[in-house]
Order: sequence, then structure tokens, then C-alpha cells
Amino acid sequence: MNKKMLSAPFLFWSALFIIIPLCMVFYYGLTDKNGAFTLENVMAIATPEHSKALWEALKLSVISTIICLLLAYPLAMILCNLNVNQNSFIIMIFVLPMWMNFLLRTLAWQTLLEKTGVINSVLGFFHLPTLNIINTPSAIVLGMVYNFLPFMVLPLYNVLVKIDRNVINAARDLGANELQTFMKIIFPLSLPGMFSGITMVFVPALTTFVISKMLGGSKILLIGNIIEQEFTQTGNWNLGSGLSIVLMLFIIFNMVISTVTDKDGEVNAL
Amino acid sequence: MMRNAARKIYIFLIFIFLYAPIIALIVLSFNASRTRAKWGGFTLKWYGELFQNKVILQALWNTLAIALLSALIATVIGTIACISMQGMKRRNRTILMGITNIPMLNAEIVTGISLMLLFISLGIKFGFMTILLAHITFNIPYVILSVMPRMKQLNPSTYEAALDLGASHMQAFFKVVFPDILPGILSGSLMAFTMSLDDFIITHFTKGPGIDTLSTKIYTEVKKGIKPEMYALSSLIFITVLILLILVNCTPKTEPKKEITERSKNSSKKWIAAVVCVILCIVAVFGFSTFKSNQSNEVYVFNWGEYIDPEVLVMFEEETGIKVIYDEYETNEIMYPKVEAGTSAYDVICPSDYMIQKMIENDLLQELDFDNMPNAVANIGAQYYEQSAAFDPGNKYCVPYCWGTVGILYNKTMVEEPVDSWSILWDEKYANNILMQDSVRDAFMVGLKLNGFSMNTLNENELQIAKEALIKQKPLVQAYVVDQVRDKMIGGEAALGVIYSGEAIYTQQENADLEYVIPKEGTNVWIDGWVVPKNAPNKKNAEIFIDYMCREDIALMNFEYITYSTPNEAARALIEDEEIRNSSIAFPDLSQYQNLETFNYLGEDGDELYNSLWKEAMSY
Repeated sequence: MNKKMLSAPFLFWSALFIIIPLCMVFYYGLTDKNGAFTLENVMAIATPEHSKALWEALKLSVISTIICLLLAYPLAMILCNLNVNQNSFIIMIFVLPMWMNFLLRTLAWQTLLEKTGVINSVLGFFHLPTLNIINTPSAIVLGMVYNFLPFMVLPLYNVLVKIDRNVINAARDLGANELQTFMKIIFPLSLPGMFSGITMVFVPALTTFVISKMLGGSKILLIGNIIEQEFTQTGNWNLGSGLSIVLMLFIIFNMVISTVTDKDGEVNAL
Repeated sequence: MMRNAARKIYIFLIFIFLYAPIIALIVLSFNASRTRAKWGGFTLKWYGELFQNKVILQALWNTLAIALLSALIATVIGTIACISMQGMKRRNRTILMGITNIPMLNAEIVTGISLMLLFISLGIKFGFMTILLAHITFNIPYVILSVMPRMKQLNPSTYEAALDLGASHMQAFFKVVFPDILPGILSGSLMAFTMSLDDFIITHFTKGPGIDTLSTKIYTEVKKGIKPEMYALSSLIFITVLILLILVNCTPKTEPKKEITERSKNSSKKWIAAVVCVILCIVAVFGFSTFKSNQSNEVYVFNWGEYIDPEVLVMFEEETGIKVIYDEYETNEIMYPKVEAGTSAYDVICPSDYMIQKMIENDLLQELDFDNMPNAVANIGAQYYEQSAAFDPGNKYCVPYCWGTVGILYNKTMVEEPVDSWSILWDEKYANNILMQDSVRDAFMVGLKLNGFSMNTLNENELQIAKEALIKQKPLVQAYVVDQVRDKMIGGEAALGVIYSGEAIYTQQENADLEYVIPKEGTNVWIDGWVVPKNAPNKKNAEIFIDYMCREDIALMNFEYITYSTPNEAARALIEDEEIRNSSIAFPDLSQYQNLETFNYLGEDGDELYNSLWKEAMSY
């Protein structure tokens, strides 16, 4: 009895600050300016400018997620095999950049990538061809990979480091080669971490508006930019909420996939 | 061996990738030049100036106070939730965990927006409190997710054993359960603290007037070029954390053979955590008290970015005893919804002509009492009141602050032919060398004027032609920016940029190769003026502030700092440098130019039309 009471503050908090606000997004998204029910705001996703922005966001975030995965997996495996006892140290190395503000880090990439920026000055010094990716989709992908890579590395590292050495040794003893050990033992065991990593990279990448603004020179509008503009500039909250609902559908879709594969139903990431 | 080397190289490369921008920022903090684009030699002066900069320090206090309080409260709520969930049925627990995961898995932008809608409907004033509530909300999941696994490892018998041995519930919890879940609690609260510190998006939607965290401060500064003090501050924070981290990890540890050492490690960690907590509490309390102080006599000012000499604000506070709470916006369009929503009550705002008209028509402004503002009557040139009467009939609502034109800033070393027409912005020779304005009206003005149309047109054909022109131009444009044109042109990033005349003098001072022209097809002549919104809490102070801005010496200080043309005739007479006093850029003779226009407010439908066409052009 006593214990049930303990959940009251959390229940109250979640109801007030999670559930009700979400309901309000749905309310605004499903009504027009006069408060009458309409699906127009949700359907607005089909107009060319919105669907283009959604498509761009999906494309760039999928690419970033794949790159993050490809970079992070070998990295997490190497880190596991390093035999560093200081588990927390490795984690901190990836969390540490977060203490330098996210916007400043992204801005720093601007300084590095600009036409007359640091990287090009170095390349120019060696008479190498210059790198012109600032204000292109590539720069946005780079910004996404840079900002969200830790969210892929940490969950992967956490599951890989927990794999019992004896299981791997047993596979070896039974005659599996390295590739087989990886495919049959390590990879399947790492799936939960992989899926939570994918979620944690894909969702923020899909919905970002800052990275595309700062590294894309506002030339590429992502769905996040459109929603942000509807709220802060155009002042059309109904449309902004409607598009947010569409965005949430993608996130729920992603969540369902990861909870189906991750049996615990919990993101044991961080 | 080879393999080992390859591994090390791989890790090394990833580290370069992760830390390169941070190194770049640290280097920038020693850059003597104010702009990011130029290396002006090594200096330590920004570190000194950082501690004089009240605005940045205040933002730092806010950030730390919010991060600390939200982490603390989230830790308490989250831990209690974990304990309660332990005794729940599996189904209930799954539901609760599902709810917990929502803020983590949902898009930050949606979380931010949903909280904003909630606070608006509850009628809570946006400020410190709303940010704090929002941060607690998104921090709780991090705590729960790191305490929960520890909780699961607990053996429930130990708790019962403690009860059997005569401990009370409280004692049993604090002596038996708590020590075991402490590592989870600590790492959870550290994670929450870090997340809160680094958050921008949710703060962006829930912050109110006069309160900034480092993130939102940086976001407003990004556009005008970050103040180097900010680099210095970030470098300091980063290096402090780095040193702390190394210290913690270098404290000698005996063979980390799990269980046994875990205890001793915990106790040492406990001490470190306790000390850190105490220090941070002091910081937070101090920050909170500075935030709370001096509530009665204030004025809330909402102005364009870098549109005032900060020294002026200090002087104003000293002379009048009125505390200035100062906020900045980037475009008229960003300012308007904030004022309209009524959640942020400002006393003085400085919108442009057409936006003032819109605010008057939508009944958002109140009439000024010019009897309280003798300087505004005496010092502002009569022709500027005449001009502003176009959007403010009878001069009831607005006192002109700055005026100017919009034109092309170009780099003489990069552009060969004479620049006299908007059409050069469509010249393929300058592909990827053109900077356009990232705001609806300014961008459409260029497209419309190029084709000889009025920039206030509501004719859909003309607007379609302008839109097509903007779409055609898009591949040639390097970036759509607002205030960043300034920094990028100074750094030689682009050859041509659309810019406000006020920036021209400043950029020429920094880079002598730059030249400003007003294209022959005509352009926008604009006036920004001080207005007082209907819901202003301190109208008296607002008028004192406006009047102070009109005092000739103050107007002169502002002019010299922001280099935007001042309508203050008395101040102009005080300008010592004759070249500037008679500069055709700072004080152009408008009768020389043709087809000059001022923006009109086009009504709600007009706004919607422009916005949708702009969105089509930008997402093309």
C-alpha cells in the first residue's frame, strides 16, 4: 500500500507535463483556427513543400544513422577489447564534448568547413583541392554524425562489454572462426544496444532544425525547420502541431520496431 | 601487431573527429580579432573581459542553477518512482516505463512545443520556472533508466531482513537499499545534469523574457557572430571538467576485482559527489538570489540583436536606478508571435515599419505620452516623424530609433564589373558566392524589385514571378542568413551579400575591400522605432527608457557602436568625424534614388500568401 503511494509524485508529474501537453499538440493539430475539427493540418504533409522537407529529413537522418552505426560498431568493439578497467572513463570521453555547448560545437564545424576555413587553409597549404561541403546536405550529415555519434557508441559499448567472455571462448573451442563467432554470437547479443542506438541517433537527426540551419545555410529545409518556423515565425500553431503529429508517427514506428526486438522493452542505453 | 596499430589509428581518428571542433573553439578563445573569420593574433583579453561581462555570467548562473535544480528534483522524483515501480504488477510497470520513455524518445522539438502550449494555456509567465519545469520533465527518464537496473539487481530479502532486525522503513531504506542503488542515482543525476546543461531546443520554446541560458544566449549570438568571451567561457568549462575527470580517474585504485572494491570506490565517490553537490548548491543559491533581486523597478526591453551599445544599458541603470531586462530577436517575424501570445510581457520593443503597422492594427500597442519624452520631441528630425507617419498615422505609437536602406555589399577583389543592379545576384559567375537574407519580406523585396514590381504587391502573378526568380537564384546562393552576412563578408567567405545599410560602415572598418551600393531598381527604406505594447507592465519606465535613448550623447554612443543611421539630428551634429557625418552610406540623400519604398503591412491574408510562397521557394 505504502509503496503505491510513492508513485504518486511521478504519476502526477507525467500526467501534467507529459500526457496533457501531448494531448494539446493533438488538439491543436486536429483543429483549425476556430477550434473546429479538421484533418487539414495533418494532411498538409502531402503538399510538395512539406513532403519534400520530410523526405529530405528522412534521407539525411537515415544516412547519418547508418554512418554512425558503421563508425560506432568497430569502435565499440575495439573499446571493449582494450581491457581498460576504467569503464566510466571511456563513457566520459564520449560525454565530455557535451560540456562544450552543442551550438558552439556545431558552429565550430562552420569555422572548420568554410570556404576560407581551417580545413581549406590546411589543404590549400599543401596545394590539395579544397573541400566545399559547407551549406550542402553533406555538411548537415556531418553535423548529425558528429553530434549524435556518442549516442550510438555508448549503448553498443554497454551491451558488448557485458557479453560473457566464456560464451565467446566456448564458440571458439567448438571450432567457430572469428567471422562465425561474430555473426552467431556477438552480433545477435549486441542487437538490443544497436536498436537503442539507432533510435537515439535517428530521432534527433530526423527532427533537428539547428544543424540544418547552421551547417546547411538555411538552403535545405528539413521538417524540423518547417515546424519551428510555424511556431516561432508564421504563428500557425495548428499547422505546426499537425506536422508534429506526422513526425510522431515516424517516431512511434521506430519505437515499435525497437521494442519488438528489444524484449525488455526498456532502453538500457545510458 | 598490425591489427593493434590499425585499431589505435582508428580510435585516434575518431578522437580527432570528436575533439577537432573543441580544439578549434579553444583556439578561437585566444583570437584577438572580434570576428570568427579573422585571426588577429594571440590574446588573453577575452578571459579577462569574461568576468566583466554581466550578461554572460548571468546566463552561466541560470544554466547552472537550472541544471542543478532540475537534476536534483528529477533525481528525487525518479528514484522514488523506481522504488514504487519495484512493487508493481508487471503490466502497470510496463505502462509506466512506456510513459517514462516518451520524453526521451519523442522529438525534442515536439516536447518543447507541447510544454509551451501547456504553459500558455495554464497562463504561467514564461521564465526561470517554465524552463526548470521543462528540464525536470525531460531529466526524469535519465534518472529512472539508470536507477532501474540497479534496483532490479537488489535482493529484496535484504530489505526485509533489515526490517526483521528492527529497522524502521526509513532506516532500512537508507542503510540497506540506498547504498546499493547509489551508483545508479549518481550516474543518473550526472547524466541529467549534463543533458540539462547541453539542452537548447526545449529551452528555446519554454524560455521567457530576460532569461537566457548559455544555449539560448549562444543561439542569439550565432547570428551576429559569437562574442569571443563565450569561447573563453566554454573553454574554461571544458578544461575544468577535463581536469576533474582526470583527477577522479587517477585516484589510485586497488585491483578492480568487482564486488569488494566496489564498496570502497563507492564511498570515495560518495565524498566527491557530496563535495560537488555542496559547491553547486552554493552556486545555484547565489545565482537564484541574483535572479530574484530588484523586482519592483524594471524595464523589459526587446530589441534586435546587437542593436544597442551595452555600455548605454549600464549607464541607464546607474542614472535612473531602473533595472534593464534585455532580450534580443533576429527578425520581425520571430518577435511578433512572442508578443502576440502575451506570455512575454515586454515594455519596449523596436520593430520595423510594417511590423509596427501590423501591431497597431492588431491592437497590440499603446499610445505614447510624448510629454514624458522631451528628448524624443526635440532631437529626432521632423522628416523622420513624417516618414513614420506612413505606418503610424499621427505619430502616436512610435519613436524612430534607426533607419536605413537595404543594398548589396560586395568585395571589390572578388567582383570585377560595377555593381548597380539586383541582377548581379543572378549572375552565374558568382555561384556559391552570394548571401541572401533569410526573411520573407527582405528576400521577396529583392525578387520583386528585380522585376520592377512594388515590394508591397499583392498581385499573385507578380509574386509568382518573384518566387520563380528566387527559386532560380537558389543554386547560386551560398547561404540564407540574417546577421551573419556581416561576419561572412568580413572574412571573405562570399563576394556579394544583401545587407542593411547600417552594417556597411562596420564591415568597411573591418575589411576595406567591401563596398555598399543601393541598386538602381530601387530598394527598401526602413525605419525601426521604439513602441510600447499594450500589456507592458511598466509603461512609465518604458517612456523613461525611450527618452533616454533619444538623448543626444546616448544616441551618439549607439550610433558609434552599431553604425546604423540615426534619426537623431542632435546626435548627428555631435559626430566628430566629418567623413562619417556626411557619409552617403550612413546618411544618404534619398532624393537621389528612384523607386524607394517602405514596407506596408499586408494584412493577414497577405502575410499568409507571402509565407506560403516563401516556404515553396525555400523548400524547392
